[in-house]
Amino acid sequence: MAHEFNMKLTPQEEWSWLLAVDLFLGGMGGGLFLLFLLFNLSPSIAVLSLGLVALGAVVLMVELGRPLRAWRALCKPFSSWISRGVIFVTLFIVFGALYSAPAFDSLSWLAPGSDTARRTIGVVAGISALFVTLYPGFVLAASPSIPFWNSPLLPVLFSFHSLMVASGLIFLIAPLGLESADLRSISFLGGILIVVNFVLGAMYLATSKGSGLASKEAVRRLNEGSLGWTFKVGVILVGMIVPLAVVLWTPSAMALAGLFILIGGLLFRYCVLKAGVYVPFPLT
Amino acid sequence: MATSEKAVASKNGKAPRWGMAIDLKRCVGCQSCTLACKAENGTPPGIFWMRVLEKEEGSYPQARKVFLPIRCNHCSEPPCVPVCPTGASYKRKRDNLVLINQDKCIGCRACVVACPYQVRFIAEDSKGYYGEELTPYEAESYKKWQPRTVQKCTFCVDRLETGREPACVQTCPTRALVFGNLNDLESEICKLVRQRSHFQPRAELGTDPSLYYLT
Repeated sequence: MAHEFNMKLTPQEEWSWLLAVDLFLGGMGGGLFLLFLLFNLSPSIAVLSLGLVALGAVVLMVELGRPLRAWRALCKPFSSWISRGVIFVTLFIVFGALYSAPAFDSLSWLAPGSDTARRTIGVVAGISALFVTLYPGFVLAASPSIPFWNSPLLPVLFSFHSLMVASGLIFLIAPLGLESADLRSISFLGGILIVVNFVLGAMYLATSKGSGLASKEAVRRLNEGSLGWTFKVGVILVGMIVPLAVVLWTPSAMALAGLFILIGGLLFRYCVLKAGVYVPFPLT
Repeated sequence: MATSEKAVASKNGKAPRWGMAIDLKRCVGCQSCTLACKAENGTPPGIFWMRVLEKEEGSYPQARKVFLPIRCNHCSEPPCVPVCPTGASYKRKRDNLVLINQDKCIGCRACVVACPYQVRFIAEDSKGYYGEELTPYEAESYKKWQPRTVQKCTFCVDRLETGREPACVQTCPTRALVFGNLNDLESEICKLVRQRSHFQPRAELGTDPSLYYLT
């Protein structure tokens, strides 16, 4: 029995696919709403973003050991980033729905009376959406036990990645009726976001490599073995390089680029979670 | 040693801060503390609130094994508490123990991931050591925790409240584990910490663990 108690660098096993799916859906939904506000897109995009965030919340509840107690997660916003995240998600869904309501006849009774009220609701929904994209990074960064996550760069990276994935979703659904002028602007932004994420990711890995044994091991795991293949092929090649090439040289295949960005976005969150390695105990 | 609250409060105006000194020169890696913890707290298969890590050092003929008993450190600044979104993980003011209110725990695992000592656990189900059907002992002891919520060492809080030491301390055959009030300068644990060279596990994280390893 005692032989199982040896000290070694152990990866965290607590958070895996389900949380990655939740982070992916929530981040994509928040990012999509920000793009909706930025480019004044169709209200159906706002509804889609609300649906994605709500679906993410459902996935998160499925992952909980005691889903029926999920309401309790609202209780500690002054200390817990999960609690703050739940509040941002709730605010986003409420204010996002109020903001989008006037576009639908059957929901017009929900619409705010004045333009000022609508603008205020839009600002609250937008800020909540921004925090929906940011908070997962803060949740992970709050764990001192896993130095690879314990970085101020992680929330920034998660937020930019969410915007990139949201632009990928727009590429994918553009053939369903997005105006070509909007698509051109978003594809330009999408290209920039891919480059920004590439640079941020490289900075994150470079700083992690020099942040001690456990972080170095996390970076090694992202470069070797099955997780290494998932990261290099799934996240970097499929999720970034190929879509960037499509955006630059083959705009007619934008939907495919969008699909690839989504696959890369999901795998990125999975890889970040699975690369988390605990610092082993010191033994004198 | 008196561990009941009244006995401690009468000695010192401050609330007790329960802690443990672990003498690494005395620990022989017998795992009797591991078993005493299991017997006292009825933890399910695969979950060890207390365990002794071991490592081989050197090479033949100077090879030797070194041991490190680990468990919840009941930190003064516990990283598991602020990450909890429900307040289920909390530090009890009256004795500075870090405890879990399992009725509030939603099983989000944030505290399990945040703990730098990897001493928080989630039992996915209530299976016993001998399959689905629990032994009478397991059926009784499993009432202390709920499946799919977090559990960990409580310093045997039930025993403390009746003036007894934690089960691991009482069992240790080499007296490697010394339990006491870190806020009482006259306690044995404080004397040991003053007299002996020691370290706190991963003190660089600022958690101020209530565990001292005597070297």
